[in-house]
Amino acid sequence: MVQNPTEKEKSLSQRVWWLALLILISLIAPFVISEFYLAILCEALVMSLLALSFNLLFGYMGQLSFGQAAFYGLGGYAVAMLMTKAHLNFWLSLVAGILLPAIIGLIVGYFCVRLRGIYFAILTLAFGQLIFFIVFKWHNFTGGDDGIQGIFPPDFLKSPTAYYYFILIVFLLSSYVLWRIIHSPFGQTIVSMRENSERTEFLGINIARYQLIAFVIAAAFAGLAGAIWVPFYRSVAPSYLTWLKSGEPVMAAILGGPSLFFGPILGMFIMTFFHAWVLGFTVYWPVVMGALILAVIFFLPGGILGFIQEKVNQRKEIRNRE
Amino acid sequence: MSFDVLFNQFMSGIARAALLFLVASGLSLTFGVLRVLNFAHGSLYMLGAFISYSVWKFLLMPVLGFYIAAIVAALIMAGLGLIIEFVLLRRLYSRGWPEQLLATYAIVLMITDLVKWAWGGKFLSIQRPKPFTGAVFLFDFPFPSYNFFVIGLGLALVIFLWWLVYRTRLGDIIRAAASDREMVAALGIPIPWLFTWIFVLGSMIGGLSGAVTAPFGSVALGMDIEIIVECFAVVVIGGMGSLPGTLLGSFIVGQVYSFGIMFKPELALAFIFMVMAVVLIIRPWGIFGRPER
Repeated sequence: MVQNPTEKEKSLSQRVWWLALLILISLIAPFVISEFYLAILCEALVMSLLALSFNLLFGYMGQLSFGQAAFYGLGGYAVAMLMTKAHLNFWLSLVAGILLPAIIGLIVGYFCVRLRGIYFAILTLAFGQLIFFIVFKWHNFTGGDDGIQGIFPPDFLKSPTAYYYFILIVFLLSSYVLWRIIHSPFGQTIVSMRENSERTEFLGINIARYQLIAFVIAAAFAGLAGAIWVPFYRSVAPSYLTWLKSGEPVMAAILGGPSLFFGPILGMFIMTFFHAWVLGFTVYWPVVMGALILAVIFFLPGGILGFIQEKVNQRKEIRNRE
Repeated sequence: MSFDVLFNQFMSGIARAALLFLVASGLSLTFGVLRVLNFAHGSLYMLGAFISYSVWKFLLMPVLGFYIAAIVAALIMAGLGLIIEFVLLRRLYSRGWPEQLLATYAIVLMITDLVKWAWGGKFLSIQRPKPFTGAVFLFDFPFPSYNFFVIGLGLALVIFLWWLVYRTRLGDIIRAAASDREMVAALGIPIPWLFTWIFVLGSMIGGLSGAVTAPFGSVALGMDIEIIVECFAVVVIGGMGSLPGTLLGSFIVGQVYSFGIMFKPELALAFIFMVMAVVLIIRPWGIFGRPER
């Protein structure tokens, strides 16, 4: 689809206005909504960061990771253990919460990037469960089933509102960095691998190395999400690393639309708030989520944003014809 | 290390391998023909175990109860497989594999909640059925005779699947469909019909294997993901969709698990993954698998 430059500029400036509006809304949100919904909003932002890291691999590189939550959990555990056991400073713990998942991501990714498609999904799931299993079983080191409690952020971040702004800043900065990565030559290379990995290889690009770099970046951002969530929630548990958690970013990306940068964020916001609402009258959330997944697959292929974009394009085409 | 310890671990590894083969063969069969990875296979296995428990408890028959319960569980899972294939998967064959995978994942979530709602989070178990309650002596070492029942069942399934795939007309169609689906359809063979029955067969095997696990005393929530991860290791090592590969993979994983548990129980799964990593470096498509296109 060829757009003339003025139209492209127009849609870009329109997008900037939308973005500014959204940021403004999120800045005033703590003064408008209750503390309960503020906590949900924090969760939605953190999980959106996880979904963005997942979608770097899925939507842009074309590889579905079913073990992304393992890195999220590792980031959380790194912060929790360093702060409660080593009494390390909050900020240094956060750095460790990014580095540890990145290092484990480098090891796991080394094996995973050799595979494509469904095999990649299987292997990431299996490695994710292995990491979960080790955390779960290593009772005297990680606390096993009990998890770790009593992780507190520094004093000036202790109030929910202050921590909300902290999460918002981390989220916006991370989104910006991910956006820049995707629109850099590196990002365009991984997109070309999704489109046609054979041709990309013929151009002299080492696919495995590029995919490994993307895998490590995704692991680092997933870890960051876990690292900033745990001090807000004050605790961490092995359930953060399971494949059921890993299914959430997959679901969010498919719900919102994996082909668009904002798709997974929209999907995760809908899911998180829907979850909070459903829990009000039933504990059987998974069955609701299962039904939601099937509904999206059958009735909204391409996700919500994909659906909207399709409609917008159709309308544009009609207008152009006239 | 003395011979009796090694022999003991080896034999329990064989029993573990037989159980893994029972579960993984259904998964691998479905994948080989339909090219759909059924995440819900572990859930069918878990549901089969719970259903067999309830039927066994309802019957209260000391001898036949277990066997009837296992058959009932297998048949109910076959029926559920029929519904899943007919209502859901059939509409998704033309779509990408991520959607197919996610659809089976949705079934996982629903079955997990169904089990939680119907049976709760308790640990349940079935008594070992007669005549497999006692021990069998091999080289003067006692082994639970139920292990031999499971090994025998695993061998029977190996022979049945081998006969089905390599010695029947349906097997010819299965192998042809696995390598070129369009060509088989062009020859006038109703592919949708074939897919339905393969999925039903895979689901039935899944339900049966769940029922067979029940007397090991491990009917509980979470048994689905536990077995499915090991099954993924089996099919990654052996090669997806390959019957001999699944057999060899089950043997390797069963043995590594059994000896791993002897050294360090917490790391049994990690040992399996080390073997998997080595296989992936040498042959990313598995020992008996074909390179992906």
